[in-house]
Amino acid sequence: MQCAMYMRVDQTTHQVVGVEPRYDFPVNGGRMCPKGVLAYQQINHHERILHPMVRRNGQLERATWDEALDLVASKIREIQGKYGKHAVGLYGGVSMTNEKCYIAGKFARVAVGTKNIDYNGRFCMSAAAAGAMKAVGIDRGLFNPWSDVVLADAILLAGSNTAECHPTAMAYLWEARDRGAKLIVIDPRRTPTARVADVHLQLKPGTDSALVNGLLHVLISEGLVDARFIAERTNNFESMRDLVLRDYSPEQVEPITGVPAHLIRKAARIYGMARTGMVMYARGVEQQSKGVENVTDLINLMLVTGKIGRPGCGGGTLTGQGNGQGGREHGQKADQLPGYRKIDDPAARAHVASVWGIDPAELPGAGQSAYELLESMGEARNEVKMLYLYCSNPLVSAPNTVEVEQFVANLDFLVVSDFFLSESAEKADVVLPAAVWAEDEGTTTNAEGRVIRINKAQEPLGEAKPDWWIMSEIAKRLGRGQHFSYENPREIFEELRPASAGGLADYSGITYERIEAEDGVFWPCPAGSAGTPRMFEERFAHKDGRAVFHAVAYRPAAEVPDVEFPIYLTTGRVVFHYLSGTQTRRIPFLVQQSPEPYVEVHPILAGRLGLENGGKARLQTRRGEMVLTVRVVETIRPDTVFVPYHWGKELAVNQLTNPALDPVCRMPEFKACAVRVTREA
Amino acid sequence: MPKVLFIDYERCIGCKSCVAACAELPSHRGKSRNYVVPLAPGVSTQTIPMTCFHCKDPACARSCPAGAISITELGTVLSADEEKCVGCRNCTLACPFGIPKFDFNENIMYKCDLCHERTSQGSAPMCASVCPAQTIQWIELDEAMTRRRAKIAAKIIGDVPVWGDDEVETRIVTMGGFGGTGVKEETHHD
Repeated sequence: MQCAMYMRVDQTTHQVVGVEPRYDFPVNGGRMCPKGVLAYQQINHHERILHPMVRRNGQLERATWDEALDLVASKIREIQGKYGKHAVGLYGGVSMTNEKCYIAGKFARVAVGTKNIDYNGRFCMSAAAAGAMKAVGIDRGLFNPWSDVVLADAILLAGSNTAECHPTAMAYLWEARDRGAKLIVIDPRRTPTARVADVHLQLKPGTDSALVNGLLHVLISEGLVDARFIAERTNNFESMRDLVLRDYSPEQVEPITGVPAHLIRKAARIYGMARTGMVMYARGVEQQSKGVENVTDLINLMLVTGKIGRPGCGGGTLTGQGNGQGGREHGQKADQLPGYRKIDDPAARAHVASVWGIDPAELPGAGQSAYELLESMGEARNEVKMLYLYCSNPLVSAPNTVEVEQFVANLDFLVVSDFFLSESAEKADVVLPAAVWAEDEGTTTNAEGRVIRINKAQEPLGEAKPDWWIMSEIAKRLGRGQHFSYENPREIFEELRPASAGGLADYSGITYERIEAEDGVFWPCPAGSAGTPRMFEERFAHKDGRAVFHAVAYRPAAEVPDVEFPIYLTTGRVVFHYLSGTQTRRIPFLVQQSPEPYVEVHPILAGRLGLENGGKARLQTRRGEMVLTVRVVETIRPDTVFVPYHWGKELAVNQLTNPALDPVCRMPEFKACAVRVTREA
Repeated sequence: MPKVLFIDYERCIGCKSCVAACAELPSHRGKSRNYVVPLAPGVSTQTIPMTCFHCKDPACARSCPAGAISITELGTVLSADEEKCVGCRNCTLACPFGIPKFDFNENIMYKCDLCHERTSQGSAPMCASVCPAQTIQWIELDEAMTRRRAKIAAKIIGDVPVWGDDEVETRIVTMGGFGGTGVKEETHHD
């Protein structure tokens, strides 16, 4: 969302001491979720890492910056000398500014010279990104500004618990509903979002594409399509039509999804008959081994009805992490260079190499995706021997954490940069104290593609430093200092602008001054452009300007319930925590509201298994097992249990989840696997 | 036109942003004065915010032997005056909604004062400022009554604000099927 707020700063200590709503910012108008209200408490938190630490005799001990940085640089050299350039990997995150994400990509390719860099967005937005690239030729999270949502007469949310995961977006939904808009929610749980829907399609986990095909079947067979739009602006309609008409009538879809046929018809008619409509989706449909297929199928809904590229028409993904959008555009991804360029495209390599002042031949090729990068550290592959981890906590957020812990243990050397000692940082050989968001300036790009600014509210605590400074210092020690001589984030942004020029995510027309003056600027924004709040008004981003339908044949989740593991397990979030909880599990109010994970069980299933509300249950999958407190709730399907994922170690539900990857985007299947549940005394 | 606190219960997502933000007002000294309660745990995810209703004839103030609970010109029922409060806790028993709470360390009652330092200066209270779902809003009385009448006309809510056997006139306008609280229609002829 990127909710704006003001910080209260003490005039004598110059430290942040509180928060004040900022009413004049268009995205949130002062509104904040509890994580936003209390985010300032991270800044001067007593658990902040205040100085570099180096592991000596098994203990993390205080070190100077020079000691720590010299050690990191010499280890990079040593390990690359022994095992080759690509034996050093970088693993990042997108809860940091565009400037830092850009520097991370450049640091990996120019200073370290490794192809092995990827980031946690792979577990977050990669399916939405790849799906949009296939269907409309560009990955800008939401195709519309938030303000379009209030113009929609029908809103379809797929796999999004908007109320808990994007709380401040609820105001847009309610404004639409005050005008009479209808809301359709696709979710296995009756979440606070689904509770207020006109139609709730409570499907079995992992059956989304069958359900969407059912909606498409009704739209096409009942003539609720825009034939002219299909003829003039799309390709490949026929193959999609033939598939859904043949195999996905509501009656055919009902046994697959568990959703009654009449509700599928009702939802399709609401969306199809509405004058305007938006389709928005999130991790529920994306974090599957067929996330890309689900996304392309949902875009089919927009294309078949022509509800895209107009006021109140369109949709897209509700990006999760703070800078989930910007962080995936400027080279932190294994296969990308700044401006959303492909690293294997010779023209892209030549352009970026010229901005960076290097020979294109020096640029490594595409690396591997996040989970594969982690796997390559393990005993079986033994390829990546040193990992530099920043802004991420994969020991909580990666699937199958039991194995990930073994991968990390097999490393020769682990460097972690963070502002708290996360579960991953505890394992590090060198810990580098990073500045928090309020201690640095820069830009981030929100879910609607609006590039906005973060301003600095106080000096970094202790000896903490921003990640762009840390990477530049290591680069100097690797003899590449001439490419990393930045004084401040503004200089980095001024380099990012030409680096992105001509790419899909073109920022070249954006300046810090324009961002301030215009409350953010929407990309694509080539030089001289006003920016692009609404995409696809005239053409799509494929070469011929047309969007592409994809015929998506439903296939089940990689693991479905069987005799041994007879229940679906799905995972998700609670409103009080953010991602792996590194930031929110340290804020007392948030911990009081949500101290530990739990398992949601329907009363019917609870009765069958002998489980009681408040009692304990043991969950076992083919990967691992854990014991959780039971919450008996009527808001979940009787064949499914739910566990929130924000905790680490023995409380991490990702001990159980399935690392089956999407064949296109390498997204793991967090949202559906098979589990056995038993009563625990 | 004065602004009022307007609460549309159906929208509550249970995030407790209002509770967190309340405690952030410096004069509230870290103690939140509003509450979020689940309506039917396990059956529904519906929660509702409970804030002070700022009654027109508040039982808390009537029950106070020390006159420690003042009502401002705008009708805001303030928290206990530190100098006057004798710590008898009458108000905590008298309030039909259980809003005044007692701070045993400081020996003083505390309750919602509609962020007096903000609302008396024309700014919104913290809860309405941050509420992400706009369950709690700070809007003009006319606008609030218009929205409420639309629901009464559609027979979604009743038109008489009754709590049990009592009719309670409040300065907060509410909406939704929970008890039919709200400003009495006839008290606001336009």
